[in-house]
Amino acid sequence: MDLWEILSRLTSADGVSGNETDAAFTALEILKKYCPDAYIDKMGSVIGVKPSSEKNAIHVLLDAHLDQVGFIVTAVTDEGFVKVGNVGGLDMRIMPAQNVLLHGKKTISGVIASVPPHLSGDEQKVLDITELLIDTGYSKDELSSIISLGDRVTFDTPFMKLENKRLAAHALDDRCGMAVIIYALELLKDVDLKYDLTVLFSSQEEVGEHGAETASYNIAPDIAVAVDVSFAQSNGDDPVKCGRMGAGPMIGISPTLSGEISKELINTAKNHNISWQAEVMNGTTGTNADSFSVSRGGVKSCTLSVPLRYMHTPSEVISVDDVENTGKLLAQWLKGGNIC
Amino acid sequence: MLKRTLEKLCLLCGASGNEENVRRYIFENAKSYAHSITIDPLGSLIIEKKGRMRPQKKLMVSAHMDEVGLIVTYINDDGTMKISPVGGIDPSVVIGRPVIVGDSSINGVIGSKPIHLLSGKQRKEFPKFSELYLDIGAENKKQAEQLVSLGTYVHFLPSFTEMGSSRIRSKALDDRIGCAIMLELIKEELPYDVTFAFLVQEEVGLRGAKAAAFSIAPDVAIVLEATTAADITGAEGDAKVCSLGQGPVVSFMDRSTIYDRELFNIAFEECEKMGLPCQTKTRIAGGNDSGAIHTSRGGVRTIAISAPCRYLHSPSCVADMNDIENCLRLTRSMIEKAVEI
Repeated sequence: MDLWEILSRLTSADGVSGNETDAAFTALEILKKYCPDAYIDKMGSVIGVKPSSEKNAIHVLLDAHLDQVGFIVTAVTDEGFVKVGNVGGLDMRIMPAQNVLLHGKKTISGVIASVPPHLSGDEQKVLDITELLIDTGYSKDELSSIISLGDRVTFDTPFMKLENKRLAAHALDDRCGMAVIIYALELLKDVDLKYDLTVLFSSQEEVGEHGAETASYNIAPDIAVAVDVSFAQSNGDDPVKCGRMGAGPMIGISPTLSGEISKELINTAKNHNISWQAEVMNGTTGTNADSFSVSRGGVKSCTLSVPLRYMHTPSEVISVDDVENTGKLLAQWLKGGNIC
Repeated sequence: MLKRTLEKLCLLCGASGNEENVRRYIFENAKSYAHSITIDPLGSLIIEKKGRMRPQKKLMVSAHMDEVGLIVTYINDDGTMKISPVGGIDPSVVIGRPVIVGDSSINGVIGSKPIHLLSGKQRKEFPKFSELYLDIGAENKKQAEQLVSLGTYVHFLPSFTEMGSSRIRSKALDDRIGCAIMLELIKEELPYDVTFAFLVQEEVGLRGAKAAAFSIAPDVAIVLEATTAADITGAEGDAKVCSLGQGPVVSFMDRSTIYDRELFNIAFEECEKMGLPCQTKTRIAGGNDSGAIHTSRGGVRTIAISAPCRYLHSPSCVADMNDIENCLRLTRSMIEKAVEI
């Protein structure tokens, strides 16, 4: 399988929280190769099952979230500019002159208005989300047949290869986590697992882990791993708060995570010479693992993170080596003798 | 075909001092219509075009080839690079953007710390250029040095998108619009001889214009530009400066020039005769090559005809094709009128 192609397909689908349909169908098509009965649940999450031949096997859930941060249309001004609210946490400093796509009855191009330096004077202020204006080239009248309130808006940036098997794209948070799981499934495709495996590409993580909360209730796993992204150190970043790009999966260690899973993931990495790094947190993790661990009567949970630079910007950067190594680690862990 | 020409020009990268790609394209497409073509010492392309008649007054029509961009000034130990703006750019339209680096078009992004790691105060402030850096994916300084040297130019990622019924979105509309209009005119039969000057280094201080205007020594000059429009929701009356769809912008004054009043009046008369919309700027803002041209040698009677353009000096400027077409029409008629004043 070509991981670059999978990443390119997944990141070019749109799926702002609560309206992940396009991303869900893209993911479903890819997942059906490994889980023929895969489906989309009531909350818009994609779920696939790879059962074990053993009876009463331990049930393992692998999760990556389907949704991405973006905007939602709240108003159209008389002059034809589109106003929006944020869906998930956005960096308002990067908004001026940012290219976007508006997903209405059809998808149209737009750009976030900026004040050019000729007019702005010295003191330019970072605008509040309610002050942003999106220019589509259409009048209010023309827009009324294309855009409705509640439509989603995404950044419009290309998928770009960088040096050292690195790439830049938007929505790599968390489409690269989905690619990790798909790669692990590829590695496990001819393996008879000792565990019942369910794959979850969950909706609405960025607005409060709602897809994970509801899907894990239905799936009722014994063990859950949330594959997400975490901070990769870049110029001037605090090394204590960040992992290193290209240094392999970041294995979560935290009071809220299962220490047994963390330990077995680390053992697996060591035994198979997969480079890894520890991501130590001191409480909740800001990932779906927070919902899994308290699902129903409690689920042993852990996080596995791909180091990512420039999170929640239109130009997130990851290393494909890290995606591969994270997938390998998951596959070896599921093949191994001890899961936790 | 003005739109196709403009698209081709906009997709070329040519920050100030690095106009070679744009110059070559114009050279190749203009040469069969030109009486003579010279490239001056700074790199401006000067094209003599014969008309039906020899004018009493020498006319120069100009536009600038350069665009705003970035330049690499230092390579950090971790393989990221420091950058400085070439021309007036706000850090806010650079941060988090995809860019292409150097002649071999290496992909890169301008890095920004994720908001999760910023303090509340930092989230409300635009970073300074000194805090931004370029990331091409290099692992360390040594690897970065093999791919990029100091002084390498960095450009906004080329993309040309049609929006709405008549709008376009691109980098470098300032001033490939002027270049595209001149390329169209060069292909036409003109009433008088015209010297077309495709100028360098406008964005760093009108430098190409100063040298070329001396060499050409015109009596009258028409400067073709893209000028800043602020006609967005919330800008009322004069704060809009000028508006898209309202026709060519003819200024009486900006930060660089007080324009020739007779030419200013003639431009509005011509538009009225042709039934074209025409507007002037409602704020004294911006400036263009006219600033260097109108004071060249003993003085040059100068007019600027500009297409209104939103989000100027960003990767995503927006203009209206109707305005650009109307700038072409107005320029065509001003070529005849300007030499007769």
